[in-house]
Amino acid sequence: MTGSMDLPAKGGFDFDLCRRNNMLEKNGLKLPGFLKTGTTIVGLVFQDGVVLGADTRATEGPIVADKNCEKIHFMAPNIYCCGAGTAADTEAVTDMVSSQLQLHRYATGRESRVITALTLLKSHLFRYQGHVSAALVLGGVDCTGPHLHTVYPHGSTDTLPFATMGSGSLAAMSVFESRFKEGLTREEGIELVSDAIRAGIFNDLGSGSNVDVCVITKGKTEYLRNHQLPNPRTYASSKGFSFTKGQTEVLSTKIIPLKQKVEVAEGGDAMEE
Amino acid sequence: MGDSQYSFSLTTFRSQLSLSLSLSLSAETYRQDDFKWVSVPCSPSGKLVQIEHALTAVGSGQTSLGIKASNGVVIATEKKLPSILVDETSVQKIQALTPNIGVVYSGMGPDFRVLVRKSRKQAQQYYLLYKETIPVTQLVRETAAVMQEFTQSGGVRPFGVSLLIAGYDDNGPQLYQVDPSGSYFSWKASAMGKNVSNAKTFLEKRYTEDMELDDAIHTAILTLKEGYEGQISSNNIEIGIIRSDREFRVLSPAEIKDFLEEVE
Repeated sequence: MTGSMDLPAKGGFDFDLCRRNNMLEKNGLKLPGFLKTGTTIVGLVFQDGVVLGADTRATEGPIVADKNCEKIHFMAPNIYCCGAGTAADTEAVTDMVSSQLQLHRYATGRESRVITALTLLKSHLFRYQGHVSAALVLGGVDCTGPHLHTVYPHGSTDTLPFATMGSGSLAAMSVFESRFKEGLTREEGIELVSDAIRAGIFNDLGSGSNVDVCVITKGKTEYLRNHQLPNPRTYASSKGFSFTKGQTEVLSTKIIPLKQKVEVAEGGDAMEE
Repeated sequence: MGDSQYSFSLTTFRSQLSLSLSLSLSAETYRQDDFKWVSVPCSPSGKLVQIEHALTAVGSGQTSLGIKASNGVVIATEKKLPSILVDETSVQKIQALTPNIGVVYSGMGPDFRVLVRKSRKQAQQYYLLYKETIPVTQLVRETAAVMQEFTQSGGVRPFGVSLLIAGYDDNGPQLYQVDPSGSYFSWKASAMGKNVSNAKTFLEKRYTEDMELDDAIHTAILTLKEGYEGQISSNNIEIGIIRSDREFRVLSPAEIKDFLEEVE
């Protein structure tokens, strides 16, 4: 059999292109950055279930790429997951696990458990040794009660009554540490989560725009998209702009007449069908 | 098809060819001698013998039927258990493939389970790829493609089931039948299994274009009753419905009881 040489099978990732990228960088090429979510994401357990919160800014380096992105992802009707880190990674990994949970639900005929979602996520992330840059706050209510977990990109997890992740996590955690207590009511929980996210929005550059909240209780999930909008846009003029003639100074005028290229031929045969 | 466990080299194929054509298969089980290259060569008449055998397996399975109404679809089947000791709540012949598509079968139960698993996975993959819930026709097409693969690969046999797939999507209520050969048809009403000819005649007489779902359920029960040996009850039939709310569900025995009482 002629053709290419058979390379020995390599498991896992193929890093050949890294050499090419290093060479290009040395020659002056600026590599494109990837879309990180900057982010403040939080979660807490209250008396009837779990409240998750997230900001809505997605950044690409110093630029805001998406002013109102959705960081709270659907996993199951009773389980939602906030994602920080690389936006593509969080989207892909939560979609994949959500699909797997759906298949599992069909096979078992039961509601999905939070611990199932957690194990599927952490096994996947561990297998990719931290290259899948997804830091998640996973929360939900199942037959064993309300649960809240954090998942780190390398695959470790924590189980906590309240948690924050992302670049704004310190700002948000300060709010939680001073005001969290067991047995919060729904309104208190939502308010605490919103305050924590707002702390992240105003004190962290990587977080901003609006507050998304998701409340999960036994049998009911409420996704409050844009629950608070603390950063309304003020546009320059609601009436629009008007530029009347004479406002702009004319420095010079040059008129180029366009030559007429079309020649109409009189007579001639009609086109055949 | 990647998951064939038996791969034979071409040299053994020739010597085994004549043997495989003369294999006679009973309707209940496919008696496969070890490692026979049971591929599906065309016989001189142009028929694929293996598929004929698979259809026989279907034809001796328990009757199942489906009716497409103007505002929904109903599928139903007999649930005759081999003994009164079997726990009938553990047997589920009608399964959901997606929230808006359900399926019932006639033929071999284990083959059905494999197909259900594959179809569910395909529906999920379709969603991951297109971020659109899979339309009924697409799922039918992919399931049929799987069944056809098994008629043209080495070391496998065709599935011994015919499926009735019922769904409700943007194209309205739909009912499809998929055969072991991989061919599929859209039906207004259809039946499969032991009592197929009587059931189809009955359905032909009773079916009307503008039937509503509740009428269709009554008709389905009556059709099952026609060919049922013994006393029909809410524990020995299974009914699945999908209305314009696009939620496929299997009726509980209590609900079936209500419909049965209405019919009588």
